[in-house]
Amino acid sequence: MKLSSILRLPALLGAMLLGTAAVVEAEHTSNWAVLVCTSRFWFNYRHLANVLSIYRTVKRLGIPDSQIILMLPDDMACNPRNAFPGTVYSNADRAVDLYGDNIEVDYRGYEVTVENFIRLLTDRVGDEMPRSKRLLTDDRSNILVYMTGHGGNEFLKFQDAEEIGAFDLADAFEQMWEKKRYHEILFMIDTCQANTMYSKLYSPNIIATGSSELDQSSYSHHADNDIGVAVIDRYTYYNLEFLENEVRDTSSKKTVGDLFDSYTYEKIHSNAGVRYDLFPGGAEAARSRLVTDFFGNVQNVEVDGHKNTTLEEDMLALSKTIAALRKKADEEEAISVGKEDTTTTEATKETQNGTLLTHKSQFAKPLTDDNWLVKKLSALGAVVGCAVLWQMGSWLESGQK
Amino acid sequence: MRCGAVFNVRLLQFPYSGPSSNSSVDGPWRIGPTPSTFAMSARRPTDHGAAGDTLSSDTQTATMTSTPMATPLNPATTAQTSTLKEPPPEKLSDIRRRIWVIGSFWLIVLLLGLPIWWKTTTIHRANLPLKEMLDWADGKACRPVFPLRISIQANSLQEHEAQNLLRLTQHALDDLNDFSGHHLRLQLFSPAAAQKQNGEPDTALTIRLLPGETVTATLDPYEPVLDITYPPNAAPSATSASSSLATYVAGQLRSTFAEEQAIISYLLSSNSIPTDYRPRGLTPEAAESLAKRTTRSLKYAPTYHLTFSLFTSGPLPSSWDIEAAIQDYMKPVLDLLSPIHNFTIDTQVQLYASPGVQNQVLSKDDLSSFINAAEWPLSPSIGGAPTVNFIVFVGNQTIALSSQNAQDSTEGGLTTSQSWLIPQWGTVYLLSLPRDTAHVSVDALKQPLLTFTSHLLSLTGTPNSGSLPLRLSTLSRIRSADLLLRASSTLGSLARLALALKSISIPSSVADGVTKTIYHLRRACETLGEAEGLEHARIAEAEAERAFFEKSMVGQLYFPDEHKVAVYLPLLGPVAVPLVMGMLNELKAWRKRRREAAEKGKEKKTE
Repeated sequence: MKLSSILRLPALLGAMLLGTAAVVEAEHTSNWAVLVCTSRFWFNYRHLANVLSIYRTVKRLGIPDSQIILMLPDDMACNPRNAFPGTVYSNADRAVDLYGDNIEVDYRGYEVTVENFIRLLTDRVGDEMPRSKRLLTDDRSNILVYMTGHGGNEFLKFQDAEEIGAFDLADAFEQMWEKKRYHEILFMIDTCQANTMYSKLYSPNIIATGSSELDQSSYSHHADNDIGVAVIDRYTYYNLEFLENEVRDTSSKKTVGDLFDSYTYEKIHSNAGVRYDLFPGGAEAARSRLVTDFFGNVQNVEVDGHKNTTLEEDMLALSKTIAALRKKADEEEAISVGKEDTTTTEATKETQNGTLLTHKSQFAKPLTDDNWLVKKLSALGAVVGCAVLWQMGSWLESGQK
Repeated sequence: MRCGAVFNVRLLQFPYSGPSSNSSVDGPWRIGPTPSTFAMSARRPTDHGAAGDTLSSDTQTATMTSTPMATPLNPATTAQTSTLKEPPPEKLSDIRRRIWVIGSFWLIVLLLGLPIWWKTTTIHRANLPLKEMLDWADGKACRPVFPLRISIQANSLQEHEAQNLLRLTQHALDDLNDFSGHHLRLQLFSPAAAQKQNGEPDTALTIRLLPGETVTATLDPYEPVLDITYPPNAAPSATSASSSLATYVAGQLRSTFAEEQAIISYLLSSNSIPTDYRPRGLTPEAAESLAKRTTRSLKYAPTYHLTFSLFTSGPLPSSWDIEAAIQDYMKPVLDLLSPIHNFTIDTQVQLYASPGVQNQVLSKDDLSSFINAAEWPLSPSIGGAPTVNFIVFVGNQTIALSSQNAQDSTEGGLTTSQSWLIPQWGTVYLLSLPRDTAHVSVDALKQPLLTFTSHLLSLTGTPNSGSLPLRLSTLSRIRSADLLLRASSTLGSLARLALALKSISIPSSVADGVTKTIYHLRRACETLGEAEGLEHARIAEAEAERAFFEKSMVGQLYFPDEHKVAVYLPLLGPVAVPLVMGMLNELKAWRKRRREAAEKGKEKKTE
């Protein structure tokens, strides 16, 4: 008891400081992955290959497609320049087609925007958004956030058009934490000056790692001469190498620390960075987390012992009787109430029928709930105003003549 | 005109500074770089000399650009310009008109431009009752109290005897109780009151005291009734100050509601309810089992979607009597849960589905990777309801229980199991059938569905002990407390976000949602433990969620100052330079005129 209370102390302190009340030492029950590529066009083939290979890995380790949010701004498999149509490879040996039969892209093409990404993280989406495109996490979900693309000091470019700042990212994570939308996050980013992207994070329970320091570039690993472009980045390549060789299935006991220790300057050609200070317990606790806590889907299942079946049957019989009793009571009540005001109920029934009939022939309704009339009137006003202005102008001109 | 002149000069300078002038360059560069720049440097002093006079400087630059070749050759020009005739003094009406022109530009900027800029760039932030919201989140606004009425039905006792017993039992209960939020209040059963409140679950439990031979207590399985028998001599007299029966009843009541108390106090303690309000004496084991319960149970939703899937590794069986089986084995329990949840159901059959683990005997570690997430179509439902999965996998695989469990069940002679529960997700049942079964009958589905039913109860968070009616009423109380706390903490999150992120917009719909939430929270807090309380808590939670996840409260919130400069400068710079310069020039001229006027006045005076 004492030990556990001591262990809980920092967590409780953190929770109190932030005014939230997550039970930090609790286990996680679901794993989610948010895999984002932010660049399009053929010469950025390697970024899509990066993301797809991470996608393949988390799927291999058991995260179902419904819990993977994959953002791909371009379709390399169907690019006319692709010498191997319908495939994406992340290695020149072309052993594994990353674009196999079973791939579910949630956000594609021009849907990959900063706004959509922040909406996804904070779940501020409209009713029209299907559940498969939402991050439906709770305070028991571990999330892997992997991003790749072209970036710079404290920003990551999205599709040549806009960029997400480190501050925006930090605020989005903070909003997630406030709403208890995660248990722990592993944030990985492979881009130039990647470490600056996580420097502004301030929410707890996040382990962050990036490929390169401020003013350092991230380099590609190798090119495939038949494809004609680089196929994978160094940082992602060596991450994958570790995951493929050391984490063969979900029972692997390799820790996040082991993964981070495998990064060397000789391999990556830039200084990969790690940030532990947001994690309660610091480096030690963060490093002891299993790789499969983030890349895999480990569920703490409860196996049933041999159960007494008669007990369950009894329960069933019971519920049947209770349901019958309730129904009877409801009916009796309805009758007793009905006697008192039969006429009114009949009247309401009739009106209900009437409304039902009228409601049957509904005509098309506008999708938005904005005021239709006001919109039309303002548009009309604008047109009339323009016409009046024009008339006045021509009148003034003629007057001058 | 002056601006244009400056521009020209720049262009002329440009090729001079370059490494070598390119002969193919078009435009003003063709004029010839060297002479014109000479002209510039030659002209500099005169330019300064005529700084006050716009007209003359214009003419100078005009000459400079039009006759570049001539200027350096003739140094006399400098002398010539200085002796140029002064232009005639401006008319007073011209000066006044110019002031008007400049003034009206400034007026437009100040009266029209500034307000429009202000209006279009301010972030709309509706007023939120931040203090109140934080109070709710900190548990200051509401002390969740569950007053549970328990009526004692003692037909065989005299009225005053019963009163005394009630008093004593209440005393004993109050002594036992260390958790003020969960309060058991006893009352005597009166038929009139029961008649009046027919059908309303106003009393949580009825105790039926029956004379018998020994002291026993049994929960009625059908109704929330606790039958207690007592030997005739155990009933306290009207005056006695203590009674073993009263203590016994109190003890029974306490043990009946122990789990509910523990769960609710755990809920409160895991939220930021003030510490003095928490119950003491929660053992680590109890806390652990409670934590496990919260891990297992799904987040509250008004509707759950149940997906029943039949997976088989071969072509058979290809059909099942699932509808009839659900009707027989699950529907009664779903009906019972209907006041708290709604359920929608769909079913599917998948042939040739291979599991993630092929071993004949599965260990516990295998189970978490048994479900082939990559290939089995178990995507969540399209609607808004969370999905609970129930999977029947046809195959003769079994689960080996761990040694500890095996020892327990050696008496039954069984060391294997057929099913497991995945927290917050659902259940998998391994069903072994004869090889050529093409159709799964209702009988074969009986055991799986009974397992699913009991798992559904634990997935929805139903407590394990007590009779079914009691468990259900407890469930509704736990859910109200849960929803109340969740809505409160959402309010707190929203308030803290509004304080922390100054640049986030808060539309008025959020303020509306917060008002509604607080209203319903208040009502829920007043009516906790009743059916109405659950309803209010449900609305409050839904409104709070809607307010927090308001769609328009998003967008890029942070703009670095460099970005602002980069946006405003190209836009406003060219506009601002003539505006400001014009005003400054005019001010200078005005001061000059005043000085001259003053000098003239002095001269006049001296004269």
